[in-house]
Amino acid sequence: MTEYSVDEQIITCMARELRGEYLVSSVTAFGSLAAHLAKSTHAPDLAVLSTPESGMDAVPLPTLSLGQFLTENQRAIPLTMEDIFDAIFTDRFRIWINPAQIDQHGNVNISVIGPWDKPKVALVGSRGIPEDTSHLSQGLYYLTQHTPRTVVEHVDFISGAGYNPERRNTLGGHGAPTCLVTNLGVFGWDQESGRMLVRSLHRGVTPDMVRGATGCAIELGSRIPTTEPPTAEETAIIHAADPLEVRRLELLSGKEAAEKFAAIYERERQALHAAWPRRRQ
Amino acid sequence: MNKVMSTDQVIAEIPNGATVAIGGSSLSRKPMALVRALARSDRRDLRLIVNVGGPEVDLLIGTGKVAEVIFAFVGFEVMGLAPHFRRARQDGAIKFQEWTEYTVMAGLDAAIKRVPFLPTHSTLGTDVLRHSTAFKTIQDPFHGETLVAVPALRPDVALLHVNLADPQGNGVVLGDGHMDALCAKAARKTFLSAEQILLPERLQTYGRDVHIFRTMVTGVVEAPWGAHFTGCAPEYRADLQHVQEYLGAARDGGGWHEYLERYVYVNHRDYVRALGGERTLGERLRV
Repeated sequence: MTEYSVDEQIITCMARELRGEYLVSSVTAFGSLAAHLAKSTHAPDLAVLSTPESGMDAVPLPTLSLGQFLTENQRAIPLTMEDIFDAIFTDRFRIWINPAQIDQHGNVNISVIGPWDKPKVALVGSRGIPEDTSHLSQGLYYLTQHTPRTVVEHVDFISGAGYNPERRNTLGGHGAPTCLVTNLGVFGWDQESGRMLVRSLHRGVTPDMVRGATGCAIELGSRIPTTEPPTAEETAIIHAADPLEVRRLELLSGKEAAEKFAAIYERERQALHAAWPRRRQ
Repeated sequence: MNKVMSTDQVIAEIPNGATVAIGGSSLSRKPMALVRALARSDRRDLRLIVNVGGPEVDLLIGTGKVAEVIFAFVGFEVMGLAPHFRRARQDGAIKFQEWTEYTVMAGLDAAIKRVPFLPTHSTLGTDVLRHSTAFKTIQDPFHGETLVAVPALRPDVALLHVNLADPQGNGVVLGDGHMDALCAKAARKTFLSAEQILLPERLQTYGRDVHIFRTMVTGVVEAPWGAHFTGCAPEYRADLQHVQEYLGAARDGGGWHEYLERYVYVNHRDYVRALGGERTLGERLRV
């Protein structure tokens, strides 16, 4: 049996949702690796973006400064924001979003904790999520920590529209959530009721663990499939694409994250300088 | 016409209370040399328009220049939240309007096309629409569908950083274009900083890489490393070590003042010198 870690299980599940010939954003390390894994296995026509600085068809290499190392060496095709949003409006774009909160109806929040006018914690702002949740036919989310604070009954602020009453009145199915991958399992939504349901649980995860880690009601049937674990080939592709383990930063916080960051930063700098001679002094 | 000017001349064109659109995205190609000049000026009550903002918004809030921010995002990606932005949001110290990436673009595009608004599906079903004082829902006059009307955004000034420019104001962008061309077209006046200024006959050989046209540009400043500490593909990448230094200083009051003295209350040449000079920066950041 192949050995694998939870990040590899999550990334593998994310990759399996991607197919066809779409622009795929890779703004996080997990998203980047999922796109790369899918392209290396079952979805060779994906056009992977290395945003914000390398354009289309970069070989995604998770780096601390997003795609910024890659442009010169890999000659990706530079895009503008208009190119990217036209791809979103025409449903030729896919993105794995890592929200701060997601609720039972698939509404997601990356804006604020607490009320918008007087936030307890001001996060970052909705970015392009409202465009994704009004246009894309796949709504893809992942969480590295499935807890009652991240999977909640109601999000504090709806940055991206799940199955809510306004959606029903104005958008119909355009941009509805379709998949959530967490460290515990793979989830989806019932299109009629708009409620979250479980598709599979990762090996070793019990329904009680999910119930305890979920801040909203969730239907857990008696016969839940076990998630297909990563194959040896899949883990090998992830290891080769992310030798510095930038992905692990998304699992850590505080001092641990700072130490990991410093170690990766130095190794990344050395690796880049060894591999790619500078163009000019 | 020769539009080459100094940074101070650019700042002189930005009055108190001006609406300033800033180009670039995230940690990429922000006009940081011009932003630092604005931060050390005595301007106040600026209204900023950014798409994916970060260091530029945080620095201008942290130096007390800002009355209002229209934004889709303000942060430092994997490096963390923006300290001054976060504090100002939580304290309610200045005004904020949360827009989205496309609606900022649509607002600029409406200004360019001289229409009062542009329609979109974006923000339907979200609290961005519920909390917005700017957007309104409308009915499609043809089929009755509900849409969101995004009002025109007209910047007084756009500040952009490009790889190359010529003295007439044409600008070459070699990496991702972000929404810089929209800023340039929508603003009453656009100012560029450029890594290097070339003669027009050389710039013309760049063909479609000329994203910014001289007919929209008022002034050009030559500023090598002018996007630092954000990146400028393919010349140099974002300086994450400096991002950490910035964030450390911005989180703590005493350190912030020292940071400003060292990096902001100095001209651009001395800024580069404070970082060890062009050679040291090159060794760290050019790949």
